[in-house]
Amino acid sequence: MDSDELYSRIRTILIDQFEVDESAISMDANLYDELEIDSIDAVDLLVQLKELTGKKIPPEEFKDVRTIGDVLGALTSL
Amino acid sequence: MNYLDLAWRFFGTSLLWFCFGLFGLLLSVFVFPLLYLFVREPVARQVVARKLVAATFGAFMWGGCRMRVFSFHVNGLENRDPDGGQLILANHPTLIDVVLLLSVLPQVDCVVKDAVIRNPFMRASVTTANYISNREPADLLDSCVKRLESGASLLLFPEGTRSRPEQPLRFKLGAAEVAIRSRAEILPVIIDCKPRFLAKHEPWYSIPSTRPHFEVTILPATAVEQFVAGSLAQRHARHELNVALVSLFDAELS
Repeated sequence: MDSDELYSRIRTILIDQFEVDESAISMDANLYDELEIDSIDAVDLLVQLKELTGKKIPPEEFKDVRTIGDVLGALTSL
Repeated sequence: MNYLDLAWRFFGTSLLWFCFGLFGLLLSVFVFPLLYLFVREPVARQVVARKLVAATFGAFMWGGCRMRVFSFHVNGLENRDPDGGQLILANHPTLIDVVLLLSVLPQVDCVVKDAVIRNPFMRASVTTANYISNREPADLLDSCVKRLESGASLLLFPEGTRSRPEQPLRFKLGAAEVAIRSRAEILPVIIDCKPRFLAKHEPWYSIPSTRPHFEVTILPATAVEQFVAGSLAQRHARHELNVALVSLFDAELS
């Protein structure tokens, strides 16, 4: 899965499950401050990304993740 | 300040911790291997292990009171359901809150941090007692909900760590989320320790000028629906419950 496809998958998850406003989503959007993702959502997102890609971002690494771009970066660096 | 009293409490505290470590080690080396040998059934073993934990913690609390290192009093013990299924939520002012609570609420489940599971003094007891590990955040909520659904009572400290002294109370969302998902009734436990003792960022040997007293109040069990005005199915219900819980604890602690 390339990063464009991943981006659109993450977008879908955010919109459908976490009630994020479509127009707010961008690579640089801060998950917590701008998209109002909370810690429980973040863990959910982590689980779904693992199912999607088979890759698991270690929780300690996910702590430093702030934007959607960071998520993609963390996934592709694995 | 009475220096003799202070010195005595320092001695008593040191002795308590020494005995705690020694006892943990003895249990790990001698008692738990025998337990594995003679009690083959894991559920029965868990029950015995938790009895041992409660007895050890009870001895710690008894010793601390007898040596006049601290005192404690528990109100509202009748509010707990001995049949289980309650989500016990407590604030976390001191290092020994779990010691106190498990000594009076035996057989409840709790979450143990990974560092404790790897600690040689406590490893055998916490693994045999089958407490929940916080190692995998993704599994943690599910495990908590499953334990409650299977009929166990679960003790959580919603702050996730000890309270920050002199700071407003702050709960993490995990405990509220467990409550929402499991619909277990909530048993709020208010721990008030004065003066400050074994608080966050304070070493065990920092002894307060007067003898600390723990006043523990177990409030009546309350259904989740009583706290949340809207629908529990909403994604934001956990935030709503969290705010309600913090204000309940704030009111009780003030």
